[in-house]
Amino acid sequence: MMWLTFKSSRLFSKVKPKKTLVSLLTLFTLCCLPFISISYGQTSLTAEVEQRENNPQWQQTLAAAKGQNVYFYAWGGSKPINDYLRWATREIARRYKIRLHHVKVADISEAVSRLKAEGGNKSAIDLLWINGENFSYLKQQDLLLGQLWADIPNSVLLATQVFPLKNDFGVAIEGYEVPWGLGQFNLIANSDIFNNSRTDNLTPADILAAAKQHPGRISYPRPPEFHGTTFLKQLLVALSNKDPRLYLQATLEAQSALLPLLWNYLDRLHPLTWQQGKAFPSSNTEQLSLFQQKQLVMAVSFNPNELAKEQHAKRIADSAQRLYFNDGAITNSHNLAIPKGSQSPEAAKVVIHFLLSELAQKQKLTGSWGDPSVITPLLDDTSRLPAQQELHSSWQQVIEDTWQQRYGA
Amino acid sequence: MATKIRRLTLSTAWLIVGLVAGMPLFGVIIGLWPAVELSWTQVTDFFTYKGLASSVLDTLLLSLLAPLIALYVAFMVYSQYRFNPKWQTLEQRLAPLLSLPHLAVALGLVYLFSSGGMLWSSIWGLFNAPAPEWLALPRKSLITMTLAISIKEVPFFLLIFSALGRQLAIKDWLLQGRALGYSEITSWWLLVFPIMLKQSRLALLAAMAYTLSVLDISLLIGPNIPELYAVVLYSWQTGFTEAQQSYAFIGNLLLLVMLGLLIFSIYLHEWLITRGLLAQAVMANPLKIAGLSHVFTAWLGLFSVLTVTILLTFILWSLGWNSQNSLSNINWSFTLWQDEWFFFQAPLLNSLHIALLSSVLGVAISLLALELQKQSRRYLPDYVWLLAILLPQLSMVYGWQIIHTQVGADYNTFWIVLSHLPFTFAYSYLVLKGPFQSLNRHYELVAASFGYSYWQSWWQVRFMLLRPALLSALALAFSVSIAQYIPTLMIGAGRISTITTEAVAIASGNEQSITAVYMLIQATLPFLAFLIASILAQRIRGSFDATHQ
Repeated sequence: MMWLTFKSSRLFSKVKPKKTLVSLLTLFTLCCLPFISISYGQTSLTAEVEQRENNPQWQQTLAAAKGQNVYFYAWGGSKPINDYLRWATREIARRYKIRLHHVKVADISEAVSRLKAEGGNKSAIDLLWINGENFSYLKQQDLLLGQLWADIPNSVLLATQVFPLKNDFGVAIEGYEVPWGLGQFNLIANSDIFNNSRTDNLTPADILAAAKQHPGRISYPRPPEFHGTTFLKQLLVALSNKDPRLYLQATLEAQSALLPLLWNYLDRLHPLTWQQGKAFPSSNTEQLSLFQQKQLVMAVSFNPNELAKEQHAKRIADSAQRLYFNDGAITNSHNLAIPKGSQSPEAAKVVIHFLLSELAQKQKLTGSWGDPSVITPLLDDTSRLPAQQELHSSWQQVIEDTWQQRYGA
Repeated sequence: MATKIRRLTLSTAWLIVGLVAGMPLFGVIIGLWPAVELSWTQVTDFFTYKGLASSVLDTLLLSLLAPLIALYVAFMVYSQYRFNPKWQTLEQRLAPLLSLPHLAVALGLVYLFSSGGMLWSSIWGLFNAPAPEWLALPRKSLITMTLAISIKEVPFFLLIFSALGRQLAIKDWLLQGRALGYSEITSWWLLVFPIMLKQSRLALLAAMAYTLSVLDISLLIGPNIPELYAVVLYSWQTGFTEAQQSYAFIGNLLLLVMLGLLIFSIYLHEWLITRGLLAQAVMANPLKIAGLSHVFTAWLGLFSVLTVTILLTFILWSLGWNSQNSLSNINWSFTLWQDEWFFFQAPLLNSLHIALLSSVLGVAISLLALELQKQSRRYLPDYVWLLAILLPQLSMVYGWQIIHTQVGADYNTFWIVLSHLPFTFAYSYLVLKGPFQSLNRHYELVAASFGYSYWQSWWQVRFMLLRPALLSALALAFSVSIAQYIPTLMIGAGRISTITTEAVAIASGNEQSITAVYMLIQATLPFLAFLIASILAQRIRGSFDATHQ
């Protein structure tokens, strides 16, 4: 700031004619306008949050939440995420007198099938971490509590202008879940495996060439694992030159026109992959661990900050790099939802409110997890990748089923 | 009045025993009840599900091979050691060897011997080259899975053989064999093996049923092109679409059919082997397998080394070993332990009190079952009591979960203890039956002649004499309860976390260092139980010998 004032004063002292001065001033004001409007926007946002927090209904929720237990069903396989939730548990207990329990699940579909079995009655689950088909099913079965955006003050902070946060895999969110973080598909790879030196225009051909150079060292998580399916989607987008039919319902015609591109490609790729395609890593974390052990030369990730975090923790080499496909990184949000049968819905709302707060989102971004923020005050341009739209959700099932048919046995 | 009370007590006792022993069957029946209406197309869809056939075949092959390999290895070890002075050491060491959890053995093998594993990477690290692929154990394959399970089951079969061996006149048979001109090892195979094979049918079935529906290990080290059947079935069971629900139903039936096939193959194998051995004996052919037996004198040493190395691997990982480092630049630290210490207390306490309650109850009820049978002078066949071990766990617990959610029951430790009870009961019954039946009646007669009432002599003689066996039953039941994953998860809704559920959730993230911490804690619990049991058992035996000389 000092530097700016100094520079500009020197600039102004040099400028003599009035006209130039006026025009420069106008230019300066114009340049500053976006910053002013953003900072104005932020203060108005904070004011709106405050106003909503003072609303008697929210005060009631806060009062009711005091002393409640919240059983939060969330994947438990990552130490950074578990550590983050432990931090949140302490903060929430201190601020709101709520006990948050992280119920570690190996796969969130376990929670979804439990909700189905409970059929909307009293539930074991108070809060869950969810997106995609799991959300779409629960919303369709009317098993989720609605109105969350309206009820939770901090949801005004959500950066809906910048990110596609109102839809989850093509399904309108409509207040049945609240975005918590952002996923952007990228690859983490050894620096020397792609001939192409740019990190932002990866193509399927690059991957095939790398597989030829490093046979047995490339793989991807076995679909229907989420990251594996997304890898296939990225390939399909690239192979079909971003065909517009991918963003519409997957008709039979579109399938027979587009899918063969992917299968032909995979037919060539699989013999060159890890264990000759006779086994695949079960998850992105397993792939990452194989990458760390130098069994693989690349890994997939949905977190644009993962590379930096892993390097910081000295788990992968400093020379590794982050790459993304030339059509952009498939981007989606991961979200929080409250089941209808939740036994402490008020406390669950307060937990979401806290997790969307600037403090909690900042800790998530800058702490060991490094998950991108979804709120306007903390937009993080440095880690953000150019976004690519999610495919229509019907393609998910088609790709997974056909993959199982062709390569699953 | 007195007889009425007696009858009432007796029937209540039978009811309790019957309920606990019958719970598995009940669960399987409910679990099999179709949740959705089935259409013919769904049935045909199911059977044309791509990969189903190979998944079923792989699973059958694994469930058949791994226990059989373990059985043969165990028999070879047994025949080498039985009349060896080292047998005492072996018997003492069996229990701690048995206590290493399946998951720990499986992950330990992968951490050690896979191509990025510690052993190869440190040896080849010296030459700064990656280890050759063919040398290493594949991370995910039928081979790794078979190896892990067969290694883990050998001590189990040794325990079974050791119990059987006490009831058989092996020494006489070997003498007869010698008299007929066979070498000792040939006599073992020709005379002892057929009998042992027949007697260990249930144990073999138990190991096969376990392998058939084991989930955690299949997920982590099993092959995934195709996936093993338990993994596929579990994903249907936790699936929520209608198609998945109907697949789950047919899938459960198929699992029972597979179990039936395994039972059939146990008999077939027995018949083939007995006939084969007989033919060899008649033709007086030298037995090739007899030569192989000598190799297994080294087993105890090797297995102990393996166990220690696995534990050491976990310790190194938990202290900061990391595949990026070479040996010289590791930052050894206890940070992980310090970080986690606070957070594994609750699961640890849950594990401990669930295991304590369910093992004490399980042992008590199996004692009750034995006593009731003794009084009615009719022993029911073993498979009636061992249903929890013999039926596939996945279907059984699925049924319990349906009931549990239907009645809207709470998620507290009571239900978890109840869901562990059939397993602790069955395993303690397995351990206690032999000692209970073979107890010398003479002592009780003497007590009666001194004027002790039935219950006085039961308590002061029978119970006291059974104490060492009761202790090992308790230790086994305790470790069985600690290792339960599916019932704890499905009945407790994950709300009740134990060391095992935490360990599996954490292992799903493949962060080896933190997984190692939980594996170590999980392995320590049963080990401590066996250690305490063996120390106590020695003391008890000591006092008993002193007072009754």
